[in-house]
Amino acid sequence: MNLANVGIYCFLASYLVAFVLEATRLWGRSKASRLFVLLFAAAGLCAHTIYLLMRSRATNLPPLVGSQQDWMLVLAWLMVLFYLVFTFLDETSAWGVFILPVVLLVVAATYLVGDAPKPLLAAQQNLKMVHAGLLVIGIGGVTIGFVIGMMYLVQHRRLKRKHGQTTGLSMPSLARLARWNRLCVMLSFPLLTAGMLTGVGLGLYSQKTPEPVQFLDPVIIGYGVVWLVMAVLFGWLLRAKPAAGKQVAWMTIWGCGFLLLTIVGLQVLNMDSWHS
Amino acid sequence: MFGAADTYDEYLEPALNLQVVYCSHQGSDLTLREKLAISEDEKVRAYDHLRSQFPDSEFVVLSTCNRVELYTAQESKENIPTHQQLAGFFADFHAIPVDEFFDNLLERTGADAVRHLFSVASGVDSMVVGEPQIVSQVREAYATARVNQASGPMANAMFERALKVGKRIRTETGLAEGRISIASVAVGDFGKSIFDRFDDKQVLVIGAGEMAIETLRYLKEEGARELVVVNRSVDRAQELADEWGGTYVAFDQLDRLMATADIIVSTTGADRPIVTRERFAAVRKQGEYKQVFILDLGAPRDFESSVGDIDDNVFLYCIDDLEETCERNRKVRQKEIAAAQKIIDEETDEFMHAVYHRATGPIIRNLREKWRDVTDEELAWLFGRLGDMDERERKIVEQWVNRLVNKLLHPPLEALKEEAREGTPHGLMDALRRLFHLRD
Repeated sequence: MNLANVGIYCFLASYLVAFVLEATRLWGRSKASRLFVLLFAAAGLCAHTIYLLMRSRATNLPPLVGSQQDWMLVLAWLMVLFYLVFTFLDETSAWGVFILPVVLLVVAATYLVGDAPKPLLAAQQNLKMVHAGLLVIGIGGVTIGFVIGMMYLVQHRRLKRKHGQTTGLSMPSLARLARWNRLCVMLSFPLLTAGMLTGVGLGLYSQKTPEPVQFLDPVIIGYGVVWLVMAVLFGWLLRAKPAAGKQVAWMTIWGCGFLLLTIVGLQVLNMDSWHS
Repeated sequence: MFGAADTYDEYLEPALNLQVVYCSHQGSDLTLREKLAISEDEKVRAYDHLRSQFPDSEFVVLSTCNRVELYTAQESKENIPTHQQLAGFFADFHAIPVDEFFDNLLERTGADAVRHLFSVASGVDSMVVGEPQIVSQVREAYATARVNQASGPMANAMFERALKVGKRIRTETGLAEGRISIASVAVGDFGKSIFDRFDDKQVLVIGAGEMAIETLRYLKEEGARELVVVNRSVDRAQELADEWGGTYVAFDQLDRLMATADIIVSTTGADRPIVTRERFAAVRKQGEYKQVFILDLGAPRDFESSVGDIDDNVFLYCIDDLEETCERNRKVRQKEIAAAQKIIDEETDEFMHAVYHRATGPIIRNLREKWRDVTDEELAWLFGRLGDMDERERKIVEQWVNRLVNKLLHPPLEALKEEAREGTPHGLMDALRRLFHLRD
């Protein structure tokens, strides 16, 4: 088998099948269906990993700093990894129903962004890896926070409407979701901040080189705005009472949703940016 | 040599030696079941009694609040206890006239008895379909019978299979899914969806009704420790608090307690709501607007329904809300009965086939032994006539003869096996005995 033939469509299809199977489990869960879901998701993750490795070999760059497409695929890869770990550890909750659509959207969005490696990324590779790595893990954490926020709201709505728990859409308790939701933002924001700071450091360093970074680049400005929004959310969370679970969920969804839309949107629109 | 009648006697259909006499919630009332019930303490005496009366039989007594069942099994036809005799046992044991219960003491034999046990063990026959307690009750009944040496190979096989069938049905169908009692739905479906743990939650019980006790049982199982009881009747509240390891607080402290409680269980029996929206809104202002799980189990309600809309962290459920979920879960379970029944039929057929097939064992053994004797005789004759054959040639000839015999025996044995799927193949077994002159 020629591994170079593994394309985005391979793992996109696998994740799509896993999602459809997850959706069918809303009407009844069995060990067999769980096994199939895990098999398809794991197969997709394998293909995904192979694709990233092949891309890395072809561009001679780590996927994180390869291209906009590679970077987004790393984000999706992380999400699938989260999904598999959650599903493996907690077999009753319907994680896939919430995480897989986000994965599918991110992977599908990669068709709209460029896959050409950026020439500027040749120097200071280690620091750029740290910059991109911190950002992608931070954004991954924020995305999980977004998903958990959604789960909180669905669970809250069910409880308020006095609907009994269905085996298909089983979820962790509100208390646990609220705790994880808060934790995701609390852990992600410092990572995003560190990522931003390393980016600023790289930009300042580049001023001494023949090709200095333009801080007025639309993507950099966009990231700055996103960081500010997250800083506000982070500050609000620090002061929010533990009882404010629903507000935290809403704030996380708005904050994280804005972050995801902005980042994916900026990548898709490209906006004449050198930044991936 | 056996005649037809002897054959039937000797290889009597073992399935007919399996039987159960029982009365359950489906055909008899609680009063009768209580009269016939055999408690754990009485079982030793009951088994002694049964053994002395029917020494050739195996027994298992299953006695729960919803059923009293006596399973019997035995290998031979001799002295099989009859329905009347088993009824007589109950009458003697409890010193009550047989006429009082005989019509309600049902009997099933053979495959029907097996099917009945499988239905019981899987919860299909339970009053609350799919209830989990019956599995442990069957397991305990079987274990007690074994400890008392009342069960034997047939009863053991039947009960072990029944436990497996119960497990299979719980795994493969939704028969045991979803909670169906008010208290279990309240705590399991709603409480556990709100809170992660209960050991750090303050439980406030208003009133001391039966439903409150049932709910407390579930909350305790989940680890709830801090319990406060308020009630207009001090004695009853104190009793409840003592029973469940809580404290009693005077009724006039209700608002202060509601402000700090995480879980409120209310069963006052008041004729109008004791907690209005305004009152509870004021209570919320005293606290930190933390999540509060209110179970209003009073009929009529103790809390105005609009209390649940005060803020996002008030989760109020009344009996109707919980009953709705119970009913939905019951319907889901009912739908699964057909699937469970299919498994029970399949398992019963398999079990009975094994029992029937077991009956053909002696015939098959006799047939094989007879043909082996013939083979040995004929081979000895052949080797004598052929003279000097080396070991290898002898082996080849032996192998050939054995293959021939096996091929000749294959069709009748297969026919016997096939026939045993439907029941003990008496006709075929008798024919084989006659055709091949088989002896016991």
